Amino acid sequence: MHATIQKPVEEIVKHIKPGEKVFVVGCNNCAWKCHSGGEDETKAMSERLEKRGIEISGYTVPGPQGMSLCKLDHTTKVLKTEYDEQLKNTDSFLVLGCGQGVHTVIDATDGGMVHPGCDTIFGGETVSESEINEYCSLCGECIIEFTGGLCPLTLCAKSLLNGPCGGAENGKCEVDADRNCGWIMIYDRLMKLGRLDLIESYQKPKNHAKWSRPRSLKVSHHKASFSSMAGTVTVSNID
Amino acid sequence: MKLSELFDKSEFVVTGEVGPVKGAIPRDKDYVPPCMAEALHLEKKVHAINVTDNQSAVMKLGSMAASVKLKQNGFEPIYQITCRDRNRIALQSEILTAFSLGVDNMLLLTGDHTNLGDHIEAKPVFDLDSVQLVKIAADLQKGKDMVGNDLLNAPDFFIGAVVNPNFQPLDLQLIKMKKKIEAGAQFFQTQAVYEDSVIDQFVAKTELFDCPVQLGVVVLKNPAMGKYMNNYISGISVPQKWINEIGSVDKADRKKKSAEMMGRFIRKHKDKFQGVHIMPLGWTDIVPDILEYAEINVNGGIK
Repeated sequence: MHATIQKPVEEIVKHIKPGEKVFVVGCNNCAWKCHSGGEDETKAMSERLEKRGIEISGYTVPGPQGMSLCKLDHTTKVLKTEYDEQLKNTDSFLVLGCGQGVHTVIDATDGGMVHPGCDTIFGGETVSESEINEYCSLCGECIIEFTGGLCPLTLCAKSLLNGPCGGAENGKCEVDADRNCGWIMIYDRLMKLGRLDLIESYQKPKNHAKWSRPRSLKVSHHKASFSSMAGTVTVSNID
Repeated sequence: MKLSELFDKSEFVVTGEVGPVKGAIPRDKDYVPPCMAEALHLEKKVHAINVTDNQSAVMKLGSMAASVKLKQNGFEPIYQITCRDRNRIALQSEILTAFSLGVDNMLLLTGDHTNLGDHIEAKPVFDLDSVQLVKIAADLQKGKDMVGNDLLNAPDFFIGAVVNPNFQPLDLQLIKMKKKIEAGAQFFQTQAVYEDSVIDQFVAKTELFDCPVQLGVVVLKNPAMGKYMNNYISGISVPQKWINEIGSVDKADRKKKSAEMMGRFIRKHKDKFQGVHIMPLGWTDIVPDILEYAEINVNGGIK
């Protein structure tokens, strides 16, 4: 999921011009889980903006809980059919979702003006209803086969691939005494699994061309093609 | 001179350390930069001098400039280069440049995180890690860059790396040390150690690694510094008895006391290592006394 956190409302307000009519759009998947743009937060944001003198032309969170704003065909259908009238009276969209959601609204409204209402902070695991943690950096070249499934690129502050720096103390990272050393986490896990041999071999430098943005994925039922500056890789999911 | 010449002859290799200033070296030819002034205290007392690379992620004069300045003045620099501030293109280029400007010894490190320094909003690069950097440095010596392109004139320098004996679990730190040796590391300097038991455990586990190791010591100047290192410097632990002992004398006598304490510690453990790396943090003037207490004579040393 894409973790998001709302921008402070006063910062949002600063970017809305006097008289600008704003339509607020939330996301009923990731932003709902982050309490940054679900149904409650979207309604509340509309009210908070109105309280600050901003004209709200409407608000919605397209689809049921679990439906992502970034599903373009669905978002387009909802905005253009259910909110057609309000959109005619709209100057801009405040999007309470991730950056992908913001772009989805641009596409769904044929290039409408948008304001990001959230900062997109990371891709994470919803550990509980109140905690979302980052375990993957979306680098395009997964190496966690060699680390028992724990990503050193993400869990090590320096993204070291061949073992820890010398800075950890009492199992904690040198940058933050509250943060576990990613490499000690990997070591402890592999020790329990009896697979410390996995981290004894040299890991070559990352291919950052696979991390070059923007990247794209073309998918069909049995085939997927991932394109980056490293080229296009096509794989089949059947024999 | 590559330090390998000394290690190969089983000489006990003694190195000091200076940090470049936060600022430039003026064009005035008579000006003596602080790193040079510090180095002068080490004349004929050590074999080589480490030059730190934006240590603790605090932006300063580059280690390359200070290393070259030392070399021009007859000292043997150990050019430190970290992965924190440069991508793989810059790292390889800097290594070629340092060699081309006369540097014979390089110490390749990960580097402290930007979060610990004075530019905490900087992008930490870490495009490579220190194991990869060591391997790439070794490849450069074979006449190839890291993607396999031929070099016109391969550099020839001595590759150093670091290890922290204080790290727990030590076995994890040693997995990385072994990888550095396999990648091409030719000598090691340790992080500062103050505890006998840490040294003994480290030595017992590494004596078969067949790679020279210099014991690293940071000169303890006063009790506050000991407490500060315990609280804020990652990977270093100063026992209370050290803090008490340096605090047992008046401020005016601290340099003398420090030299005695550091020298005594080095003397006790020197036979377990192939050299010592003294990090005086500005107190280079007491390094000769430390070595005297340690009963170490570098037999001429540099310059």
